[in-house]
Amino acid sequence: MKKTVVSCCLLILALGACKKVQNQEYAGVDGDYVNGTPLPPRQEGVSFLSDSVQKGQFAPILFGFDRAEVSPNERPKVQEIASFMRRENRNVILAGFTDERGTEEYNRALGERRAQAVRSALSQEGVSPARLQTVSFGLEMPADPAHGENAWAKNRRVEVGVVR
Amino acid sequence: MKFSALSGLCFTLLIVATPSHGQEAASPVITIRKGTAVVVAVKELGGNAGPAAGAVLKNDLQLSGALSLGEADNASVVVSGSADPGSFSAAALDKTGAVVLKKSYGGDPRRAVHAFADELVETLTGSKGIATSRVAFVGNRTGHKEIYTADYDGGNAYQLTHDQAISVAPHLSPDGHRLTYTGYQSGYADVYLIDLRSGARNRVLKFPGINTGAAISPDGSRIACTLSKDGSPAIYVTTISGDSPRRLTRSRGAESSPTWSPDGATLIYASDEGGAPQLFQVPAGGGRGRLLNTGFGYCTEPDWSPDGKRVAFNVRVGGTFQVAVLELGSGPARVVIGAGENPVWGPDSRHLLFARGTGLYLFDTVSSRENRVIGDLGKISEPAWSR
Repeated sequence: MKKTVVSCCLLILALGACKKVQNQEYAGVDGDYVNGTPLPPRQEGVSFLSDSVQKGQFAPILFGFDRAEVSPNERPKVQEIASFMRRENRNVILAGFTDERGTEEYNRALGERRAQAVRSALSQEGVSPARLQTVSFGLEMPADPAHGENAWAKNRRVEVGVVR
Repeated sequence: MKFSALSGLCFTLLIVATPSHGQEAASPVITIRKGTAVVVAVKELGGNAGPAAGAVLKNDLQLSGALSLGEADNASVVVSGSADPGSFSAAALDKTGAVVLKKSYGGDPRRAVHAFADELVETLTGSKGIATSRVAFVGNRTGHKEIYTADYDGGNAYQLTHDQAISVAPHLSPDGHRLTYTGYQSGYADVYLIDLRSGARNRVLKFPGINTGAAISPDGSRIACTLSKDGSPAIYVTTISGDSPRRLTRSRGAESSPTWSPDGATLIYASDEGGAPQLFQVPAGGGRGRLLNTGFGYCTEPDWSPDGKRVAFNVRVGGTFQVAVLELGSGPARVVIGAGENPVWGPDSRHLLFARGTGLYLFDTVSSRENRVIGDLGKISEPAWSR
């Protein structure tokens, strides 16, 4: 397992080295954004926590432990949001969360990575990335404050806030 | 343990005495056994604040790890002095009665005692002390996560933020005068910079997406942080005011917790680009990153020691978070604390602070001794330490 991770990373570095003329400036592989499009500017006074954002209209998109890919099972939820966004001229804030396991700062980054993964999936469904904002709360504000796999599975999520 | 091979060797430490009253004091010679702490005795301190100051001094010397407390008849160094509100003076004498260190201070006796303890540690061992350092951490006693600061021993604890939102991820500048943290009062994760002397607070990072994990560079001119404005949570370096962000990493993973080398040339951070999170090292000015081989499959929250020789971080073993230390250049890493989160180094590159439950703990990596320094501010997380 560990060996696989190490050898994968070595492989990535080796591949990177082959292409190094292209990009000496960055670590990792060239061109490797989750989304090719930078986030749009924030809308002043509007956030996932503000009254101007409606939460709970869509089911949260759930993730595996330490994972940040939208699984095929969760894809219909993304499609439902996409079809709503095609009908209605509303912007959306995607809020990423993790379960309580794991250290705090890593969880903040992981929650953001999950929100970006849903942003990417929505843009594949034809939604303009300029209508999507992201935020990560890491392990804060669990959907289920209990401990154990049942609660954790509900907490590894991206919630959807619709800007009114 | 590292010293066991050397423990048979004695060496002589020459100490330059502080000349007092124009008198030329003889240079005291103290013979100590390497690897064993110098024994220091503290006589009852005089003055109104004497008993309290004496307790702080004894605690400082004990927590230093470099010195140990003893009785006057078996000590190499004996300290006497007096403390009153607004003044503290003390003298350390060796066995021949020669002055090792003699000092007078004005101001808060507690701060003065810490300053004397650090000077004594530095005089006797040549190493930097930790007694005058400051710490910061998150506590949730009020029902919200807020930032607190305190002396390294938990004294003078003070609630710094009253945001009533989510205030987390504090980092202190190496000189302890500035603090960055991640605050959610805008509804997004933004980075605030507080000048601890003036109290002035500025929101320095408020890009779209996440702004977090801000760490001030050793020279105070730059901030390393995690931003996602370009579409992935990646490591960036900005100016101290949050301008001119430069992206350093470029992977599909979640990247977090950048920590500076003492010369400000390199950063170590955590990334899960290969699956489970691992530690990577990258030049702070841009360049190719490389994986650090820790021997562990899940590594987060790295903190680079002030002497540049080691990095402390969390590992996940069987569902438990442990603290490991990697000696750079001579790995693999070893676990030093069986249960604890967010280790950070003190100025001596010997002690760690870490969080566990409602406690903030000071840990000596040489003796493995652990002391709880905070225990009454709710759940504790994410400590930071000045250098």
